[in-house]
Amino acid sequence: MEVKLIHFYPDLMNLYGSYANLSVLRRALETMGSTVTVETVQPGQDVDLADADFLFMGAGTERAQKAALADFLRFGESVRAAAADGCAMLFCGTAMELLGKTITDAEGRTYEGIGLASFISVQGKKRFVEDVYGHTALYDAPVVGFMNKCSLLSGVETPLLTAVDLGFGNEGKGGAEGFLRNNVMGSHLTGPLLAKNPRMLDAVLAAIYARRGEPLPPLPRDAYAEAGFSVTTEQLKQRCK
Amino acid sequence: MRKLLAILVCKALRIAGKLVGKGSSLPGKYALKLCPDILRRVELPRHIIAVTGSNGKTSTVEMIAAILRAGGKTVVYNEEGSNQIEGVTTLVLSHASLSGKVRADVLLIESDERYAARSFRFFHPTAFVITNLYRDQLTRNGHPEWVYDAILPAIHPETTLVLNADDPLSACFARGGNAVKWFGLEQCAVSQSAPSGVYHDGAHCPVCRAPMTYDYAHYNHIGAYRCAACGHARPTPDYAATAVDLDGGSLTLDGGVTVQLAFRSIYNVYNILAAYAVCRETGVAAETAAETISGYVLKNGRVQTFRLGNHRGTLLTSKHENSIAYDTNLRYVTSAKADCAVLVIVDAVSRKYFTSETSWLWDIDFDLLAAPHVKRVILSGAYSNDLAQRFSFSAVKNWTVIPDIATAAAALREDGSEDVYVITCFSDRDKLLAHVEKEG
Repeated sequence: MEVKLIHFYPDLMNLYGSYANLSVLRRALETMGSTVTVETVQPGQDVDLADADFLFMGAGTERAQKAALADFLRFGESVRAAAADGCAMLFCGTAMELLGKTITDAEGRTYEGIGLASFISVQGKKRFVEDVYGHTALYDAPVVGFMNKCSLLSGVETPLLTAVDLGFGNEGKGGAEGFLRNNVMGSHLTGPLLAKNPRMLDAVLAAIYARRGEPLPPLPRDAYAEAGFSVTTEQLKQRCK
Repeated sequence: MRKLLAILVCKALRIAGKLVGKGSSLPGKYALKLCPDILRRVELPRHIIAVTGSNGKTSTVEMIAAILRAGGKTVVYNEEGSNQIEGVTTLVLSHASLSGKVRADVLLIESDERYAARSFRFFHPTAFVITNLYRDQLTRNGHPEWVYDAILPAIHPETTLVLNADDPLSACFARGGNAVKWFGLEQCAVSQSAPSGVYHDGAHCPVCRAPMTYDYAHYNHIGAYRCAACGHARPTPDYAATAVDLDGGSLTLDGGVTVQLAFRSIYNVYNILAAYAVCRETGVAAETAAETISGYVLKNGRVQTFRLGNHRGTLLTSKHENSIAYDTNLRYVTSAKADCAVLVIVDAVSRKYFTSETSWLWDIDFDLLAAPHVKRVILSGAYSNDLAQRFSFSAVKNWTVIPDIATAAAALREDGSEDVYVITCFSDRDKLLAHVEKEG
């Protein structure tokens, strides 16, 4: 099938190799026989989200995030509509915060988010930095990654990671992390979440095919991604003890 | 009294520490406990030069010391690179008289970018060199703007800033109104028409976020940027490299003096330029600076040559978690013309702490190795799978994975005689050097 991926602000929100999420998704879709187009959206540029299969925004600095937000607000209604329709999305790092109700910066200024969810983000002058080992309700395997954020999020009712054994959750040490509702994912896990976690990539692939009502072809396996995941999982598991 | 005690304790601990080979931050730590504002109470040299930034601090500081000394100045500096306030305190007090006077023309400090504000609470540099601000060690630093915000409070209004005109982010330090001397590389043989690399940190203006344009770029987003919206643009350098010939290994400064490059990397060019600028500001003649730095081989040895079987090898130390350091070394390999093999090792991401963080691999422009003279690439170390996954998305095709470093070295030793380049970090370099015959 023909699949359309939307990449919001690839230059503005480009930290931590976030773009690799799209790289691995695209290759997997192509391996499964789909034809993929990636449409990039720069600030001020128009895009039609009606026939999009996946929306993506990478992490950015706190200042870049405010610039992204200023432009992204005009997409609020169409993104919320796409979410309600089951469109798959991934918003990484500070991009996740745009989905919420408000973002308060370290100086105390508050910005409105697009209100897809009711959580709020409060940024501070301290960074929360650690490797992350957690669990998700999406599948029965650990989620691994790394986090470096300066925000605490409260009011997330449906997290992506139901618990973390190592690292920080939305509200501080431990607890739940990220956001998941329908097929909308948000996470402060740094960078290439889908490259690091092959099962998470599978979940996105399944969501894209399901929404299109297409049977799911056999999921591709990247031996290096699997082996890399095993190594990291083993190392982080030891850290949890 | 507390001042004298702090000086005595520091000196004694320093001597004891040297005997047992201990680090240089402990004496300062105890001195600070005895007298927290000791750095305010001592009499410092007339020139206090500090150097910070993401990349090139240690090399730049070493060259500054060499030039100043050649220019007849006495210099006190932290050669061991303990660059937080404790290390600075040790440095200052070990060179102070009992009355607290530091007898030197120049105090030279390599300052950790995140802790500069702490170090400079009690005194301030007369000249503050900021080499650049890049993505570096996400595990400590977050992102370059975060580091920018951390350095900002370390800047005293009376300090003269010595800034890189070609780096759009660190150039913003001039916005505070300090006196600024700019160094930069003019358009020359190495310049490209546009920024390069996997990500484009110069795409948006760091001041107003409007799109920026480039007249030319020297590497990554370093070059002649211009924001039409707010006017943030590359300033005209006060000290400029006016010509660079990396193949021939020469650099022309201010259109007049020539420097032979011991290491033909654009990095080295910028480090030399920063050192040259601040030394000129300290009263050293251009000719003295150029003569000292010509053919200067750094003591801190980021480049190590070796033999491995019939191969001539070069180890290019590239900080893990620092994509620009990697890109620079990859570019060095690309620019070599002879057939070569490249070994990339990621085993321990950091030598100081544990992390499995490998997102920085996606920020490195490994496509640079897709060159006809690069005959094979071997990926090794505990994170060779992460490397392999990353390489599978690059333009490089002739790579193989040998997770065990000793096995990878043996595979190279047994086969062929082409040049070998090893790209890895301080944390992993000795794991390879244990299997080769070191030179020089």
